[in-house]
Amino acid sequence: MNRILGIELRRSAAPGSALVLLVVGVLLLFFAEGIAFATGWMQLAMTQRLYLALLWPLALAAGAWQARREHRSNVTELFASTPRPRAQRTVPTLGAMAVAVVCAYLAMGVAGGLWIIGTAEYLPASVFVVTAVGALALIAAAWLGLAIGRLLPRLVTAPALAVAGLALLLLIPGATRPRGWLALVFSPIYEMNMPGAYSTVPGRASVAQAAWLAALAGGAVLLFASSGWRVRVAALLPVVAGAALAVAVMPHQSRFVTDAIDPVARELVCAADEPPVCVSRVHSGLLSEVIPPAREGLAILAKLPGAPTRVHEDTTTYVPEGYPPWHEDVVLLEIEAGPNGHLLDADTAVTDVVAGAFASPPGCEKSAGLAERLAAAYWLIGREPVAGEANDPEDIAKAVELWRSLRQLPDDEAKARVAALRRAAVTCSVGEELTSSGTR
Amino acid sequence: MRWLTLYLRSRRAPMALVATGGCAALMWSLWSAFSDSRDVGVQMVVLTVLLLVAALTATLGGPDDALEGTAGIAWPPRRIAHLLVAFLVVVVLLLVTLATGARFGPAWLVVRDAGGLLGLTALSATTIGTARAWFLPLGWTLAATLFPRSEPVIGRILTWQAQPPESTAATVTAGLLALGGLTAYAMTGPARRAPAEAAQQ
Repeated sequence: MNRILGIELRRSAAPGSALVLLVVGVLLLFFAEGIAFATGWMQLAMTQRLYLALLWPLALAAGAWQARREHRSNVTELFASTPRPRAQRTVPTLGAMAVAVVCAYLAMGVAGGLWIIGTAEYLPASVFVVTAVGALALIAAAWLGLAIGRLLPRLVTAPALAVAGLALLLLIPGATRPRGWLALVFSPIYEMNMPGAYSTVPGRASVAQAAWLAALAGGAVLLFASSGWRVRVAALLPVVAGAALAVAVMPHQSRFVTDAIDPVARELVCAADEPPVCVSRVHSGLLSEVIPPAREGLAILAKLPGAPTRVHEDTTTYVPEGYPPWHEDVVLLEIEAGPNGHLLDADTAVTDVVAGAFASPPGCEKSAGLAERLAAAYWLIGREPVAGEANDPEDIAKAVELWRSLRQLPDDEAKARVAALRRAAVTCSVGEELTSSGTR
Repeated sequence: MRWLTLYLRSRRAPMALVATGGCAALMWSLWSAFSDSRDVGVQMVVLTVLLLVAALTATLGGPDDALEGTAGIAWPPRRIAHLLVAFLVVVVLLLVTLATGARFGPAWLVVRDAGGLLGLTALSATTIGTARAWFLPLGWTLAATLFPRSEPVIGRILTWQAQPPESTAATVTAGLLALGGLTAYAMTGPARRAPAEAAQQ
């Protein structure tokens, strides 16, 4: 059996399919929508799952193409006349196709992994589960393709099957709305787009998806290996049972994956030496890049009375709403990994830290505006405010104006106003601190 | 007339035409049943064109292409006519829907994609054989419909199938593919395979 499997691996459509899936997968990872997986391993695993949107239909087509081989070579009758069970002939083919698609999927993951291996450190077990479900989805697609390709040995079967598969994946979310969890059961790509830094796929969702995909693959095997209508009808049984099991296991709530937050990824990891600088665990690979600008920012802030002494990553999540604990002596810094895996906006990190000292607790109504924060920060740094990429030019113009008026004041007076702004921001009572001297 | 009948039979044209019509009818009824909008979504239109072209792919080769090549017949005009008729079948089937409740348009997009994809299929058939001719059109079109890029120009060229009809880059790409496919197929015909393999397309 192993010898036949080896021959199948070399001589069937398996190596070609693996190569096509790998090349397409890697191109998608890096060029389809920019590099969206640079934050970490979980993001890579979820992005790979998203690109099953294309790989899944292609695996279907690959299976259907392979299943037409006997028909193409005109040996169907010859093989049917051999006194051997059909399973003996089908198992190596099934094995070869499964090995091919799994290898391609894993190699695609390796290609993405090489890109982030220097910066991504947090590797939760669920990454392997998400990847395994993706590989299982490809196996199910290839085997389903084999089964359908054997039943309909026509040239058009494979491309038509691929188009149908793609259409199915695209239509599932619309067809199941408003029951989003149904789409999550049946579509391996659903809710895998744009994973945030603390995203995860809950285990129950993966278990439900694995149950459905395994049932689909099992049904496809029965269909492919069948030699009579009884077995073909029986192939429906595992599919129906798997669907029922998956629907039962999947929690019946919408946005189940989108709203999932990995608390471990969000926990803070701190630098050993003083002053403390902490980032979330998922960004722990960026800690060494965050420390220098963070400490430089803290040194600049030290001029102020009651200056903050620590920098933490801003681990705020908006859906579901969650804020990091508020401390007066902590500056919250937003950290994001750029497409190359390294710290995005490393140039403005110092300014972000200094401006972060003028932020207010969450839910504060009377917080300092962006212009005021920038003016105060740049006064402390001693440079004219410059526009960041995301900033509104109006805010920058106003910040420059405020900054100039601060510069014209005597140093003590200006410092007193900036210190007053900091006090007011922390206590959530910002008024006209930068422009009037009354609040000393 | 007798020649034409035999030719069409050897290319399994009736079967392919039935499949093409069936695919078009299926896509049309799917959209009519599941959408309130009269204009079919662009993704669906591109995928339908791809499906129809794929259904006609089998007619590009006969049971024994090597044997055909030995016949004392002027093949190039016949092959050109074959491709043009296939193109007309796809375009007419979809343009007829413009008068119905589910419109597969805009017309220029259908014409451009049908021409480009048919040309690409013909080009593949001359290089890697009819049986494998759908590989590249399928993979390329699925990728382009899922992830169309409008910037920069190279993005418009690489995802020409899904560009809006007014895109010049897409039109030029489709035109080149159509012309290249037409010329290559007319000159050389489908790639020769061993008869045993070619026999069952």
